[in-house]
Amino acid sequence: MSADPQANRLLKGAAFAVLAFLVLPSLIVVPISFGDTHEMVFPPPSLSLDLYRQYFGDPQWLAATWLSVRVAIWTTLISLLLGIPAAYGLVRGRFPGKRLVAMFLLSPIMVPSVVIALGLYIYFVRIGLSHGELRLVLGLTVVTMPFVIVTATAGLQNVDPNLEKAATVMGAGPFTVLFRVTLPLLKPAIVGGSLFAFLMSFDEVVIAWFITRAGYETLPIKMFSSIQWEISPVLAAVSSLLMLFSVVVCVLVVVTRRNEPQQ
Amino acid sequence: MVKVQLNDVEKRYGPTVALAPTNLSVTEGEFLTLLGPSGSGKTTLLNIVSGMTEPTGGEVWIDGVDVTNVPSAKRGLGMVFQSYALMPHMTIFQNIAFPLQIRGLPREEIRRKVEDVLELVQLPHVAGRKPKELSGGQQQRIALARCIVYDPSIILMDEPLGALDKKLREQMQLEIKRLQVQLGITMLYVTHDQEEAMTMSDRIILMNNGSAEQIGTPNELYFQPNSSFVADFIGQSNLLDATVAGEDRVRLVNGEIITVRHDAPLSHGQSVKVLLRPEVLHLREIDAGGNRLDATIRGSVISGSTVKHFLELDGGTSVLVEELSNGTNAAPAPGDRVTISWSVGQARVLPA
Ligand SMILES: Nc1ncnc2c1ncn2[C@@H]1O[C@H](COP(=O)(O)OP(=O)(O)OP(=O)(O)O)[C@@H](O)[C@H]1O
Ligand SMILES: [Mg+2]
Repeated sequence: MSADPQANRLLKGAAFAVLAFLVLPSLIVVPISFGDTHEMVFPPPSLSLDLYRQYFGDPQWLAATWLSVRVAIWTTLISLLLGIPAAYGLVRGRFPGKRLVAMFLLSPIMVPSVVIALGLYIYFVRIGLSHGELRLVLGLTVVTMPFVIVTATAGLQNVDPNLEKAATVMGAGPFTVLFRVTLPLLKPAIVGGSLFAFLMSFDEVVIAWFITRAGYETLPIKMFSSIQWEISPVLAAVSSLLMLFSVVVCVLVVVTRRNEPQQ
Repeated sequence: MVKVQLNDVEKRYGPTVALAPTNLSVTEGEFLTLLGPSGSGKTTLLNIVSGMTEPTGGEVWIDGVDVTNVPSAKRGLGMVFQSYALMPHMTIFQNIAFPLQIRGLPREEIRRKVEDVLELVQLPHVAGRKPKELSGGQQQRIALARCIVYDPSIILMDEPLGALDKKLREQMQLEIKRLQVQLGITMLYVTHDQEEAMTMSDRIILMNNGSAEQIGTPNELYFQPNSSFVADFIGQSNLLDATVAGEDRVRLVNGEIITVRHDAPLSHGQSVKVLLRPEVLHLREIDAGGNRLDATIRGSVISGSTVKHFLELDGGTSVLVEELSNGTNAAPAPGDRVTISWSVGQARVLPA
């Protein structure tokens, strides 16, 4: 905290300016989404809910949305199932080459999406995996899992290993320790990590674009193609809904964090 | 009855010997303390008993069963950690109920036992709180209660009071001792604080460099140390270099000859250490048959109940004399010549 109130005000001003620069371009779609159905203009000449009606009335948009939701749920679940044990091994385990394994597990964060996408595409063709939805789930798990590993690792580092030892000495078997000590203490990290993984998966375009098959358009892909072919103003409504969804998720993360006892 | 028996247990980490082959037995209701400097292997020994460290040799027996290859969870032990290790996501009630739930006790019995044990540690009003809402001393008592409640065959404690301030630590020492005696708990306790060990223990194992230097009651360790390490670690001591000059006689480096007590036979010319506790020395001549040495006062300090005199023997060796202060102690000035004396038998010979 700066002691100088004037410097403090300046800092606050600067922070708000940056925030405005980052947020305003996204916010502009909100008023547009309440415009009419013919073209995307700002400011909208008249206000209506037509674009939202159009979105909710179009089976193709809804199908894309549900596909994205399903894929994101599966991706998140698989990421948790693989990522938490991996994080556990990385934090508590003692084995040679641990840092190398950690780097390998987190590498999808650093490798450009296009490279991962191309690799996955070639790989799926090679092994003959042709199920569109499964391809999306497996492909997107590659990028979401590292984020679950990162949050779970951070969470585990805050869990005193003596708590697990204490439970063990008291007679708790490994499952009791896991479900009554480790996981409850990891809850904030798990909730944060899964919301994050869900959003990442939901939002992912590049990899999804490469590996999806005809008939499996996720929401971002559908948005991308519709801006290429028609620039339909319904996009503004979809974007606004997505933004609302992200805000809700972020608020959820903050709220769950606050309710957890800090150790 | 023997609760815990260690037969030649040892632990090596590569070339490092954390614990040299050690034999030990803890009897029922005994308070046994592992005392020693940092890195002497106390935690290693304790963790071998708890099952968290696997010994590289030897056997661990608990309640007459060889548990060397039995995992921690199945050894039926209790353990109190320095960091308390209370579950932060559980209330105090849930924390204490946890080991009982693991044992599958009925709900009603759990409630009764938890309430009883909270009464026992004099904290019946905190059942609904989270651990972080308690003070350090209270958390430590809850950690102990969580062990007591399921009646383990032995309770292990690794420096449980290390995080508390001096006053609270002394209070907790008495509290733990009271509960241990009252409930007949068998206790294996680790500390590097010799006063704490002396206050609480029935027996002390003094560890040095990964092996047990001496095992005995606090009294034995204090009055009959068998090495200068023990004499130096427990209490204050003057250790004088000397050579054997005859049957129970040794010659100090300044040529003076004194009479000593010894357990092992001495051979002429052997070099030894002579232990003189500061409180057995007097700044006057006490009886004609006793030992006496001439010395020069270098300084005196009054520390409440006692007065410490720092002296120099003729020949240059420093000696500490501690007397009870009664307000009338004649205060010798630095440079004064004095005679120190002690009853024969108070000077103990130790191997050099
Ligand atoms: N995992 C380990 N790997 C290698 N050496 C170890 C390991 N654990 C302990 N040691 C060594 O074993 C010796 C005994 O350690 P231990 O922890 O038992 O000491 P301690 O008496 O408990 O000390 P302190 O009072 O500092 O807790 C030390 O020299 C230590 O460096
Ligand atoms: Mg230790």
